[in-house]
Amino acid sequence: MRKDAFGQTHPAVELFFFLAVMLITAFVLHPAVTGISLAAACAYNVYLRGRKALLFTLCFVLPFILLIAVLNPLFNHAGVTVLFYLHNGNAVTLEAVLYGIVSACMFAALISWCSCLNAVMSSDKYVCLFGRAIPVLSLLFSMVLRFVPRFTARIGLVSAAQKSTCPEMGKSPVKALKHGVSVLSFTTSWALESSVVMADSMKSRGYGLPGRTSYSIYRFDSRDAVLAALLAAFCVVSIAAMVSKRICFRFYPSIKYSSFGALSAAGYAAFALLCLLPLLLDILENVRWHSIRSKI
Amino acid sequence: MPSEEKGKRSRLRLIIGAVTAFVLVPLFIFLGMTVWNDRKYYIVSLIIIALSMVPFALRFEKKRQTARELVVLAAMIAIGVAGRAAFYMLPQVKPIVAITIITGIAFGCESGFIAGAMIAFVSNFLFIQGPWTPWQMEALGLMGFFAGLIFHRKDGRIPRLIPLLVYGALGTFIIYGFIVDTSTVFTVYSSEVTWKLALSTYAAGVPMNLVNAGATVVFLLLLARPMLKKLNRVRVKYGILEE
Repeated sequence: MRKDAFGQTHPAVELFFFLAVMLITAFVLHPAVTGISLAAACAYNVYLRGRKALLFTLCFVLPFILLIAVLNPLFNHAGVTVLFYLHNGNAVTLEAVLYGIVSACMFAALISWCSCLNAVMSSDKYVCLFGRAIPVLSLLFSMVLRFVPRFTARIGLVSAAQKSTCPEMGKSPVKALKHGVSVLSFTTSWALESSVVMADSMKSRGYGLPGRTSYSIYRFDSRDAVLAALLAAFCVVSIAAMVSKRICFRFYPSIKYSSFGALSAAGYAAFALLCLLPLLLDILENVRWHSIRSKI
Repeated sequence: MPSEEKGKRSRLRLIIGAVTAFVLVPLFIFLGMTVWNDRKYYIVSLIIIALSMVPFALRFEKKRQTARELVVLAAMIAIGVAGRAAFYMLPQVKPIVAITIITGIAFGCESGFIAGAMIAFVSNFLFIQGPWTPWQMEALGLMGFFAGLIFHRKDGRIPRLIPLLVYGALGTFIIYGFIVDTSTVFTVYSSEVTWKLALSTYAAGVPMNLVNAGATVVFLLLLARPMLKKLNRVRVKYGILEE
């Protein structure tokens, strides 16, 4: 994972950004808006995860878009512009094709934003944000995240030990199942016993006592405030354009869209800036870094 | 009698939880149909799912829990997520639903819901998060909730096998299958959801749901008794999970 300037801001700003972008993307089905969102999400995902995200986009997101784009006109025959008729007499319409593509892009954008969210928001950020409102659940969440790799490693260990005592285990599906069940069973015994030790350690350090706070390294400074204000401004402008029907797209029964004006241009620009903000921050940071370095 | 009052209060909490799941959610579905009559099925259903999880989370927070109870619950959730590693030779088979049911039986319905929702969330957190996550959380959460509602006993009695297997099969097929297939309906046919399309999607989901239900039954058959015995042992040995 690359060093990410946006990932170093306060978690509240990050969560606000992701919620705003994902809610607007999910609510507004408009070719331009959905396209901006999808492009920005894929670009940011590739910036964050590199080749892995590129593979993810090509092997998972793209087939998903194609599948829904093909499925929608086959099942949905609304719309007035008939392209051709299927052999059973149902019409394939331009509106249904376009709707399928745009809604598939919407879901693809949501999936890509979720992927970015996972890369940016680590579990300590969730604990920082929700530690006060839902302390028990966020503690549970961070404990589970710690336990999973530990238990997976243990399962591998137990499984290897089991296999060495009985080499033909796992030859047939029934034997593989029995093997898996016994491995899981042993691991559970160990997990429950060892977790009690951890609980006692927590208790001796004062878990559940009044006035105890959780550690967090995040501080809401002026830079975060500026960023939050910028995000809020972009949101207000783009939502205003969408609510006042300046950015509006109707698919059924016939395609109809709002004309291009000053407010709609401002809305598109604001939404594009909103979506690209993390990438812009990263570019700014990289430029600054290189300009400082070249002076030395 | 303090213990009697405690029992009454826990029953009241239980009723409140059931009302939330069965009354509040349909109410929001109705509101979504009347106010948001704009083909926003997906987002409306997502809001409903999120809303329906909030009361469970808040009630779980209010419950006074010792560190030991919390850590043991976390361990069971992590076992649910990591459990698939034990069956790497059988890639289609995952013990997730069975472990959720066992956790619900051992910890009661509220913790059962939290365990199911958390197992779904963390598995998606570690693999691919997507628009289907809330549905899986709700589906698994309800599986744990009902398991606790039906089978949880204060004295830790292990339920009889036949009713447990029947619950596992029907629950996976009806509750889990229905909710997850509904997310498919909203994702694929987000524009024009008709009864015909929905029914054909549910019909297409039947084989997969049958496989899942069969897997749950097999896992419950093999895992329920030993797992519950282990949990009982921990509770007697360390004095946890006792009201």
